Amino acid sequence: MNNITKLLLASSCVFLTAQAVQARDFTIAGWGGNYQDAQREAYFQPFADAKGLKFIETTYLGGLAEVKAMADSGNVTWDLVIVEGADLQLGCDEGLFETIDWETIGGKAQLNSHAVQPCGAGNVVIGNGFAYSSKAFPEAPKDWSDFFNPEKFPGKRGMRNSPKMNLEYALLADGVPPEKVYEVLATPEGVDRAFAQLDKIKNLLQFWEAGSQPVEWLSAGNVTMSTAYNGRIITAKSEGRPLEFVWKNHIYNIDVWAIPAKSPYKKEALEFLKFANSAEPQAKFSSLMPYGPTNLEAAKLLPAETLERLPTGKNIADALFFSDAFWIDHSDELTERWNNWSTR
Amino acid sequence: MRNAHRGRIAALLLLVVPLTIYIAVYVAPLLSIVSLSVDNGALSNRFVQLSEAIGSDDQDQRAAALLHDLASMDARERAEAARMLNQELGGFRSLVIDTGKAAEKIDPTMAGLVAFDARWKERAYWDVLSRNLASFTWRHFQKATGFKPDETGRLRLAEGDDIYLRIMARTLLIALQVAVLTLLIGYPLAYAAANGSRRLSGFILTVVLLSFWTSILVRTTAWVVLLQSDGLINNLLLDLRLITDPLQLIFNRFGTVVSMTHVLLPFAILPMMNVMKTIPKTQVDASRSLGAGSIETFLRVYFPQSLRGVFVGGGTVFILSLGFYITPALTGGPGDQMVSYYIAEFVKKSLNWGMASALSVILLLSVVVLLLLGAGAKRLFGGRVVEA
Repeated sequence: MNNITKLLLASSCVFLTAQAVQARDFTIAGWGGNYQDAQREAYFQPFADAKGLKFIETTYLGGLAEVKAMADSGNVTWDLVIVEGADLQLGCDEGLFETIDWETIGGKAQLNSHAVQPCGAGNVVIGNGFAYSSKAFPEAPKDWSDFFNPEKFPGKRGMRNSPKMNLEYALLADGVPPEKVYEVLATPEGVDRAFAQLDKIKNLLQFWEAGSQPVEWLSAGNVTMSTAYNGRIITAKSEGRPLEFVWKNHIYNIDVWAIPAKSPYKKEALEFLKFANSAEPQAKFSSLMPYGPTNLEAAKLLPAETLERLPTGKNIADALFFSDAFWIDHSDELTERWNNWSTR
Repeated sequence: MRNAHRGRIAALLLLVVPLTIYIAVYVAPLLSIVSLSVDNGALSNRFVQLSEAIGSDDQDQRAAALLHDLASMDARERAEAARMLNQELGGFRSLVIDTGKAAEKIDPTMAGLVAFDARWKERAYWDVLSRNLASFTWRHFQKATGFKPDETGRLRLAEGDDIYLRIMARTLLIALQVAVLTLLIGYPLAYAAANGSRRLSGFILTVVLLSFWTSILVRTTAWVVLLQSDGLINNLLLDLRLITDPLQLIFNRFGTVVSMTHVLLPFAILPMMNVMKTIPKTQVDASRSLGAGSIETFLRVYFPQSLRGVFVGGGTVFILSLGFYITPALTGGPGDQMVSYYIAEFVKKSLNWGMASALSVILLLSVVVLLLLGAGAKRLFGGRVVEA
């Protein structure tokens, strides 16, 4: 056999295997990093082992572009994806996600009421606050007014390049009580007020894209304070980094499992939701990654020192629940204003 | 004779195949992007009755038409229409979805609509609807350029609406800065690689190709490590006591331009080097023997001939820079993001593909215009360069 025939044979083998993979394995899309590592240990692997199922993972970066492309092209390559609440609502209305029959999968009573959605099951409670480098200041910053006070707490600030949550933080810093934030933000004067606060630290801002960046920047001294997810900061702190997370008036939201429409593994995905909704794996996940459970029984399975690290109990006593409904209506116009403001 | 004819037909047929593939993979997506940027079918096809009634003076007729249209959409179509209307006016989404769900129960008069939701009294919502009943729309281009028609129909640029124009100008400026820098750094390197000893040119080629083959993400992150506040460069300067406080070298324009220049350097060096290699060394010798000094020889004999490589290299770097977004996102500040960053935002985050397409079309057009200007300039000054 000459070399060319060998090459042809080899490439046709590759081609055929590629074709065979088309009948693909159960595919789960998550946010990557140690968040997804903890999910694998607490949910994916135990579930796959119990069902004798093979699964593969992929990374998801937010938004609905991929899911919409799957629905438009009919080539559905994901069976489960963990999305933010606003994207769940948008996708659900436009038929991008399967609807969930809560009567069949059951367990509704044990869940936080925000977790029970027509197209998804809320699974992970995330605390969005700010963190600071404990080496940066003699006196620790305590709340949002300190974050927006460059005279008392000098240095650069990390923030996500989006109006979401940042406008809420600005109003909280301006003294708006948490329960009034969305009421104020719905008025043009409220939006002006938020941007006026943001103006105070505008020349100090540095925008992050991924949740790991605040940890790196704070550790390297690029910024002295940064908005951040509680999980990233608390994990880094327990690894010995000099970081502190501020719980006061933080905003918490829920990440939701959803099933892309026409997934060939819909049955398995629904079984996964049932498993993910139960208390034991949720408690296991929270002990690995400091995000909160949505199953109300899960907290009872956790020791007090773990609960102190989670957005739950006394940590959310003065917190604000993120309003997906507000942002679905106002994201377009406020993002435009934000971009206009941030690029000037 | 006949055979030759047949051969020509066969050759033609063989050419048709790659041409068709080319059109399919290049021109077709381009056309679909252009059509996406002006297509308004998702709205016009769904408000059929309203588009007939919108001109009528009878408020109730308009209200009834709207309710009829909303009721005849399924939930999915309604949500898509609502999302698009919301891009024009915040809050429209929930208004359309709530009204749509209850459309059959609402009294089909203006009073009935307003009683269901007082927002229907406001003119702004009706204005947005009436602007979007044609199957074709300029609204994405209006938003992208900031030029909107006022009451009298004249195009006007309102303050604060020029955001994407500013970003486009910034994109062109950064691309130009990067192109000039890569040429300034690349030219001597390409010269050394083309004319130096075998060992030197091998060394330069290896270094250039090594960085060429390393992932953009890795090279960009390396710059973050080098330039950040307690990065290598700042620590070195602090240790040498040249500075007392760390310099801000990254997350600003400086960091963006430096990292982009590094990433794109090979695209400038390789074409320049290839052109320089074709310049016969004997010409330089001839020029020297005719009495020209080394500087004069370089300026009048060598440099004009190497310009073709400079244009190709600089042009490639410029065009590639226009599409950059990962590198500025990681090494730039808020004022350094380029237009691709916003295109990606519209595609991924806000699902506003019309707006993303409009910005892409504008970017593409500005490149075409620049190329035409370049070609024109070449025609005007091209002869003079050779003469000189």
